[in-house]
Amino acid sequence: MSERLVSLQPGFLIRHWPYGETSLLADVLTRDFGRISLLARGLRKPKSKLAGVLMPFVPLLLSYGAGRGELHYLSHAEHQHSAFDSPLQGKALFCGFYINELITHFLHQSDPHPEVFELYQQSLMSLQNGAEVESCLRCFEVNLLELVGYGLDIRYDSQTHQLVEADRKYHFSVEQGPRESVYGEINGTTLHALHSRQFKDKESLLQAKKIMRMVIDFHLQGKLLKSRETIAKIIKHM
Amino acid sequence: MVMDKKGLLGQLIQDLCYLPGVGPKSAQRMAFYLLQRNRDGAKRLAETLLESLNKVTRCKSCRNLTDQMICSICSNQGRDHSVVCIVETPADVWAVDQASVFGGVFFVLHGHLSPLDGIGPDELGLDLLEQRLENKEIKEIILATNSTVEGEATAQLISEIAKRSHVRASRIAHGVPMGGELEYIDSSTLTHAFKGRKPI
Ligand SMILES: [Zn+2]
Repeated sequence: MSERLVSLQPGFLIRHWPYGETSLLADVLTRDFGRISLLARGLRKPKSKLAGVLMPFVPLLLSYGAGRGELHYLSHAEHQHSAFDSPLQGKALFCGFYINELITHFLHQSDPHPEVFELYQQSLMSLQNGAEVESCLRCFEVNLLELVGYGLDIRYDSQTHQLVEADRKYHFSVEQGPRESVYGEINGTTLHALHSRQFKDKESLLQAKKIMRMVIDFHLQGKLLKSRETIAKIIKHM
Repeated sequence: MVMDKKGLLGQLIQDLCYLPGVGPKSAQRMAFYLLQRNRDGAKRLAETLLESLNKVTRCKSCRNLTDQMICSICSNQGRDHSVVCIVETPADVWAVDQASVFGGVFFVLHGHLSPLDGIGPDELGLDLLEQRLENKEIKEIILATNSTVEGEATAQLISEIAKRSHVRASRIAHGVPMGGELEYIDSSTLTHAFKGRKPI
């Protein structure tokens, strides 16, 4: 934990909770200090200027000092750009929430990961620019896992140690990886797509989603992603 | 622990601290006041609290808090039942009604979409809202959810549902507060105010 004052640190609001009568507790992803807890005192008072600033999916600059234990006190926040022109909308917005939940599960507190910050920022930008959401999410998932040490080894058949071939079928298990089988439910092209982060067709996207779900659930060790089910319901209503 | 040391009185003070904005000091003052100076009032308060807990539930039509099946706003025939204002909390109903600019009826979500907390359409009663929109009675909805990312997301989703039911949906304007000076307004509020500008 840093004792000094941190000034204008780039960050994103990941999650927040009301705290006491007028304050807000924020889970923030900073560029240089990883995920930290910030207490924004008085933010929920009617005239707080911070209330309109501290929002998710907007690049922020945060100044804060040491507080109690892991908690830091926010002293100032501003938007990195004077105005945010195109906030996330519709399905992309809900994907943003899903990405935030993954961050809360796969990054420990105060564990600096500038590359994850970069990945997060890039992913938000692609979502904002109208990128295809499913492929954007798969890329985020596979890159995030790799950056925190859960990289996927899907280039080789786990039994023959041969390179995965595009036109063959594979079984996939999280612990063993791909294994060729005529009854395999995963195409070689899907594994190639996941490896290169380039999804060219619907089928490989769908299969990649299945694989990533298995992998993520495996690493969550029984914890549930709340946003997954909720977002599915939301999208059904859209 | 307080209970061991100070018995029921200690427990009462501790329980009063559940109230928003009440710390141990004011809880103590309240407890002494109720027990020494206004015992009748205290009895009434206790009874009313208990009765409210038992009887106050959500209105079957708008989900606002009420001790009836249908709340007094929904059963008021003097109100315009073709316009529904959608708000996040019962306190918001109160606030809008106080301003007396709105003569329609309400629908209370009791929150906003919050995927990380597992709060989705079911928790906000959107099925009930959808049913009401299908009834053809409603001509317009006014989305008065908070001006937060989650509040906007909720408004967006409900406007989609309204569109499907061919009900007109509008969003209340957010922007410069009355008496507000531009230089003191944060940039996102100002952005909102510009986007929501209208001809005069
Ligand atoms: Zn009602």
